[in-house]
Amino acid sequence: MQPHPSLTPLLLALALVSGAAHADRLDDIKKAGVLRVAAFDGNPPFGYVDGASKKIVGLDIDYANALGKKLGVKVEIVPTNPANRIPLLTSNKVDLVFANFTITEDRAKVIDFSLPYIASGQQFLAKKGVLKSAGDIRKVRVGTDKGTTMETTLREKYPDTKVVLYDDTPLGLAALRNGNIQAFSQDGTKLTAILAALPDKEKYEIPPFAISEEYEGIGAPKGETRLVTYLNDWLRELEANGTAATIYDRWFGPDSAQPLPRLFKIGDTRLSQK
Amino acid sequence: MMPAACFCPCLIAAMFAHLFTGPLLAPKYLHWMWQGFLLTLWLTALTVVFSTLLGMLLAAARSSEIGLLRRPAAAITALFRNTPLLVQLLFWYFGVPSLFPDGMMDWLNADHVLSLAGPFAMHWPSFEFLAALCGLVCYSTTYISEEVRSGMRGVAPAQALAGSALGMTRWQVLRYITLPQAVRLSLPSLLGQYMNALKNTSLTMGIGLAELSYTARQVESETFLAFQAFGVATLLYIAAIAVIESAGYVHLRTCRARQGKA
Amino acid sequence: MMDFRILLDNLPYLLWGNYPDGALGGAALTVLLSAGSAILSAVLGLALGILLAEGRGSWHKLLLLALGFLRAIPVLMLIFWTYFLLPIAFGIDVPGVLSVMAALSLIGGAYLAHSVAAGIAGIGEGQWQAGMSLGLSRLAVLRHVILPQALQIMLPSFVNQWVTLIKDSSLAYIVGVGELSFVAAQVNSRLMVYPAEVFLFVGILYFLLCSGLEQCAMWLGRFFQPARIAARRMSVNRQRSPSFSYHHEADPHRPHG
Repeated sequence: MQPHPSLTPLLLALALVSGAAHADRLDDIKKAGVLRVAAFDGNPPFGYVDGASKKIVGLDIDYANALGKKLGVKVEIVPTNPANRIPLLTSNKVDLVFANFTITEDRAKVIDFSLPYIASGQQFLAKKGVLKSAGDIRKVRVGTDKGTTMETTLREKYPDTKVVLYDDTPLGLAALRNGNIQAFSQDGTKLTAILAALPDKEKYEIPPFAISEEYEGIGAPKGETRLVTYLNDWLRELEANGTAATIYDRWFGPDSAQPLPRLFKIGDTRLSQK
Repeated sequence: MMPAACFCPCLIAAMFAHLFTGPLLAPKYLHWMWQGFLLTLWLTALTVVFSTLLGMLLAAARSSEIGLLRRPAAAITALFRNTPLLVQLLFWYFGVPSLFPDGMMDWLNADHVLSLAGPFAMHWPSFEFLAALCGLVCYSTTYISEEVRSGMRGVAPAQALAGSALGMTRWQVLRYITLPQAVRLSLPSLLGQYMNALKNTSLTMGIGLAELSYTARQVESETFLAFQAFGVATLLYIAAIAVIESAGYVHLRTCRARQGKA
Repeated sequence: MMDFRILLDNLPYLLWGNYPDGALGGAALTVLLSAGSAILSAVLGLALGILLAEGRGSWHKLLLLALGFLRAIPVLMLIFWTYFLLPIAFGIDVPGVLSVMAALSLIGGAYLAHSVAAGIAGIGEGQWQAGMSLGLSRLAVLRHVILPQALQIMLPSFVNQWVTLIKDSSLAYIVGVGELSFVAAQVNSRLMVYPAEVFLFVGILYFLLCSGLEQCAMWLGRFFQPARIAARRMSVNRQRSPSFSYHHEADPHRPHG
């Protein structure tokens, strides 16, 4: 069957459009007057829905709002789960990702990252007494989120462990409570906040070992060097004028529900030892 | 109208264009997806078997003269048909366990092994599989019972009367005369429902079952080759559906041949 | 046992999301999303159905293949494609709700196309011949004679497609569109210990929506049955020409028979 002659230019045009170049993203954001940010909506305290106001709030949201104020634009939060973060960036549905986004080499091949602004280690949440050391991980069913570094690390370090992946952290938590998994793996900081919010927290614990170090940064589209440089300068400025520390204290400070000492400052190259 | 006809194939071509322009998936990832595909097929097969059996029972109940059978059957049908499968699956996996006593969940989640002859052993399926099967069977049963009911309407009433005249109970008439013919008559529409069951297994990725869509997502998160991962998954789904459809086509041809039609 | 009071606090959020402070969400978005998809799929189904019924040759086969593809692919997969992958392929940016609507309409349109083609094929050949013997072109016969009859009979299946679309709209949760099941999952994540109550309640909301629509479909089906359509046409004719009547007047002086 010969293709209809008038179709060929249409197909060619479509192929060309797919590789179309776009203007610098930083200028686009300023011109549009709105910064579209992907953030979590079920991961306290980084991004979650506040019960009273029904709005998404959290540490990542505070950072996004601070950036919006600096750029002089409105901030539009797009709720996401971990697996959708990169697809949202690559399909141009959001400009930046503020969602506890761990910096890895593989990810850096498809998107760009800013400097890390928060750091943590991969830990586990389990019923008391189930996990006494890292070796016990092999014996239990572990759950985590799709599209996270937790999944990759578990597969590399504990290939024999049965890992079940859920679309988002709250679903994994529900599975933990139902006994479908015996341990749930996430960032230590996130788990601390989750444990503090559990209604039956006395039954659970976070064993004091971590199986990796995670440095989280802002996700940006690939090739936007001007935008990334702007973000890095802005992050250093936040650290210098103490805003970064203020935001951290609001969620992890001594008066918060989940106090954690601040072991990583913006500009550090590694997590200081506990 | 021509643009409408051109648009669909163009869309589909664009979807697969990227499949051939980028790097191919490593065999390791193809293996993951193959495992997911096998699980999809296994889940579909079990769903088909259980929901056909239960569908026949439900169809019999719905056409019963006993109100006590007919009304609850109609209510169950309405309930499972008018709620989304996704919400049903979430309810079975996350909701129902919270209502069970603690001990029951521990038992359901433990790995029980039934040793058969020699080296063969059957492992108790994961709770994800059980919840998925439960949800899919409940949902598919109602649709299959509708198809079987239409099939039952196609069976001549004289047959049931003849059966009663021979002294058969209503249940025997159903079991030996009406239902087998009803199923055979409604086989084309039943195959349509089986194809729907296969497509519905993709929803179980939300409850942690490692079937094809779940593994496609997994591969996409690891390799970032979204087009390749979802392209392979789409092709596998289409292949499976095509097999079921050709089975139906072959059955239709042999039926016609048997009835002496050209 | 189950505690449903906690849901009353969240009922407004489940019903319409953050509106008017934010975007519309919850059950209201479900209704809008499914209504939009229903209209789009009806239009698409009509166009493709006519093409399917009237088309010939290799384009016809290509269309059959394309429709077969759309009916073979799971809805979840197509939502992934339209939301994430087509924007990369075509370089355009489509908002979430519209891309989910596009996916649902394509699949709905593919199913409806076959129904429309079957409906057109179901209209007797006599109607075509009568129309053409009056000198109307094939397209005119289709537009003025065949389609009005076919569509009246197919109306319930269009409404049933809307019911299916309400259920399929629940899959939009995977791409973060804030319709009812997404909002329900959010509420469940926040409350943590009431999953059974939340999902049961949401199930009931969907049940009410779908059952309500199904009743409309049944009512429409009864209103548009061929016998009643014929009866209505008869009554219109009787009004136009009083001498034309199938019923004997209730005249006691008239001999029966």
